[in-house]
Parts: sequence; C-alpha cells; structure tokens
Amino acid sequence: LGAGQSIQQTYDLTRYLEHQLRTLAGTYLNYLGPPFNEPDFTPPRLARAERVPSATVDLDLWRGLTDNARLAANYRAYSRLLCYLRVLDGQVGTAELRHRLAHFCASLQGLVLSIGGVMSSLGYPLPAGPAAPPAPPGAPAAPNDFLKKMDDFWLLKELQTWLWRSAKDFNRLKKKVPPAVVTLRLEARGF
Amino acid sequence: GLVQSCGHIIPESPVLALGSNFTALCILNESCLDFGNIYANQIIWKIKNRVVPKDQYREINRTVSSVTFNDTSSLATPLTCNILADGQIEQNIYGITVTVGLAPEKPKNLSCIVHQISRFTYVMTCSWNPGRHTFLDTEFRLRYSWPEEVFPDCIPKGVNNSCTITDIQFFVNTEIWVEAANALGKAESDPLVVDPIDIVKPLSPQNVSVSSGILPTVLKLSWENWISDAVMTLKFNIRYRITGDTSWMEVPSEDTASPRTSFSVQGLRPYTEYAFSIRCMKEDGVGYWSDWSEEKTGITTED
Repeated sequence: LGAGQSIQQTYDLTRYLEHQLRTLAGTYLNYLGPPFNEPDFTPPRLARAERVPSATVDLDLWRGLTDNARLAANYRAYSRLLCYLRVLDGQVGTAELRHRLAHFCASLQGLVLSIGGVMSSLGYPLPAGPAAPPAPPGAPAAPNDFLKKMDDFWLLKELQTWLWRSAKDFNRLKKKVPPAVVTLRLEARGF
Repeated sequence: GLVQSCGHIIPESPVLALGSNFTALCILNESCLDFGNIYANQIIWKIKNRVVPKDQYREINRTVSSVTFNDTSSLATPLTCNILADGQIEQNIYGITVTVGLAPEKPKNLSCIVHQISRFTYVMTCSWNPGRHTFLDTEFRLRYSWPEEVFPDCIPKGVNNSCTITDIQFFVNTEIWVEAANALGKAESDPLVVDPIDIVKPLSPQNVSVSSGILPTVLKLSWENWISDAVMTLKFNIRYRITGDTSWMEVPSEDTASPRTSFSVQGLRPYTEYAFSIRCMKEDGVGYWSDWSEEKTGITTED
C-alpha cells in the first residue's frame, strides 16, 4: 500500500472503531451498572487510572509535534490501551459482551498494525521497545470492585478521546501526503 | 485351530498414491514354523478373494514372502496373506486394509465476499475450486491472518469448497488462503490479500416507502440504509415501472451516486401506479451491489 492509501485505511479504521466504541461503551457501562451508566457521572481520576495513557494533551503542543512523533505517540498509546482492554475482555461475565469486546480488541490490534504500516510507508521507525508493557496479569487488582469499575470507566473514556483525536490526526495527515502517484508501468505488452 | 496368529503383514494399513507401485511383506512367526510345518513358499496372497498371480510373489526367506504391485490401481481391500497348510486347507494368516488415492491439488480460484446479514453483523464467505477428487479423507482449512495476528481457521462443514467466517475486521489488509491436506500430502492456494471492506455486499435499502409529490409527475421514495457511515457511504440504483409492465426504467446512476435516504423520481405519468425497487453499494464502486429491495408502489396524483 502507498502512504496515502495506508493513511486513508487507518483513518477509516479509526472512525470505524469510534463507531463501534460508541455502542460498546454504552453497553459496558450498563453492565457496570449505576452510577457508571449515568450520563453526567464523572468519577475522580485516581492514581491507578493514571497508568492508562491519558488522552488529555495540550493541543498546541500536540499540533506542534512532528508527524513521526505524533504517529509514535498514537502507536504507543493504542498498544497500551489494547493491553488493558484485553484484561477487561477476560473478566466480563456475559458472553455477548465478551464477544463484542474481543471483536473490538481485534479491531484495535488492527489499528496498531495500521499505524505501524503508515509509519513504515512514511519511512519512520516503529517506536523502540515492546509495543506495550505486557498485560498486567498479576497487576494488583483494584482494592475493591468499585475502584476496579472506575478503572474500566476511565479506560473507555480515554479510549474514546484518543480515537476522536486520532481520526483528526489521520485526516490532517491524509491531506498532507499526496495520493499515491500512479506509476505507469509500461508492461511489455506490445509497447 | 491349527493356526493362531502366525504372522503379520507390513506395512500395516498403508495409504497409497494411485498409480504408484507397492510391495508388502508377510512375516511368519518362528513359533508357527515348527508347530505348523508351514513355510513362506506356501504363502498365497489374495485381494479380496482373488488370488494374486504368483509371478508377483517373491520368497525373501523361510519366514518372509513379498508381493509387489506395479500399479496400485489394481489394489483393493483387504490384501490377505494365506497359507496352504498340510497341503490342503487354506488358512488366513493376516490381512490389511489398503487405501488408494491422490494427494490434494492446489486449491484454485479463491474468492471471498462479505455479506451484511443484519444491521451490525457481517460474515465473509470464501469459495474455491478444491481440485480433483482424491478418494481420501481430505481436510480443507480456510486460513486468514494479519502480519502479526493469526485468526482461528475456518473449517468447512459438509463441503470442501467454501467456508464462512463470522468475525470480520474491516480496514485492515487481510491475507486469506486455503490449505488442503490428506494422508498423501498437503497443498496451499495462492494467498488473497484484501481489505474486507472492499468485498462487501450490503443489505438492500430497507423500509422503502413511496409518497406522492406536489406535482402529478413526481413520486418521492424514502428508505433506510442499514449500514453505518463509519463502515461505508453508499451509492444507489433506482428502477421503476408502471405496475403490470415487464420492463424496468432506471434513474440515471449519476443522479443517485451519493449517500442519501430519499429521492424524487420525476417525469412520471399522472394518475398512474408505479412500482419501485432500489439497490445500493459502496460509494466508490468497490464491492458488490446489494440485492434489489422489495418492490413498493405509489400512484402519481391527477393532473
């Protein structure tokens, strides 16, 4: 794939993930139950939730990054978010929700791959080191169920914000990179 | 009886390639030699109940006789090793089943299509040419992967030329291929690399309704698209005919080449009943047209 096509595909995937997450998050928060599924519920962000890559950034700072740095930040964030999401997927009690989470995790894995593909097509190296910290199998469980649910709440919230901003990132990047130049290959067919 | 288990045949239960040659050995137990006064040169090979011509036998030694078939096409099951004990009574020593067949050919013409089967559900059905009949149990597997992710194989049920994958991921180039394997070998199709979003056959437009317009020559169609814009934007074909006619007229495709949920068809005959049907596909024309929607009728107003 040329860079332009790769970015377009990544942009489409990001919007598709946003679309999936919109309904999935609603279903999951209903699964967590009140107060988490109440529209105006905004719990405090405790230290535990800090481990999830925060999507809150200084926009000017973010815009000021190079394309490479911004793509790398996206790559690292989704790699880590995917790890946390997989832990979530393993704990859900209902089969339907587990299936949808597993499908979403696979899509998010696809996004990590796609961002990697965009970086390679633009000649950028993939971020060094493991794509993400290993899923914390033994991570200290939240001291209680409520705090665990708060972790999940913030994970979904951050993911929604990341996807919202990444769609804008790729949309901007799409306009900067010209569509793949069609290389006319004069095949040896009588030419 | 005279002869307990007095010998065995190797190989035990061979699977052989059609048209190849094959040699089997019948090995008599030493214990039987002394007791039963039987030797390898008294062995008679049989296919089913038909004696194998003696010129295909060879006495390897006192206890071992071999039989050779230059072309396994003449082979059948069972192949038995028998002995003519005491000169008269023919006694069976051992028998094996012989399976003759062919290694699988490389599956060809792999093609896939993603069917939208409900508002949020898509399945991808791939089909291929399985190649020649192998006469053997041959397992086919549809495999698909991303560079760092391999998904569970799709195992066809009851057929050997198609499989349906129920968990599809859009917007990621996916490598898809078919593997065929049996006792005689394994073969793989050429891989197909495709983004599943580019092979979608969407559901046809739903809940089509027709309403008369202000003008007697216009009818307005409305419908629902059951595919989200985040998945794909659509273009449409609209066809219509006077109820009872057999031939359809079609709205110029350029007029319906962009996303919409309604369209006013103009240039109709006043006070006439028309039947309408709509279909859709991905806006950029990559993929498959949906089926035509259910027909819906409407009557233009009087002039």
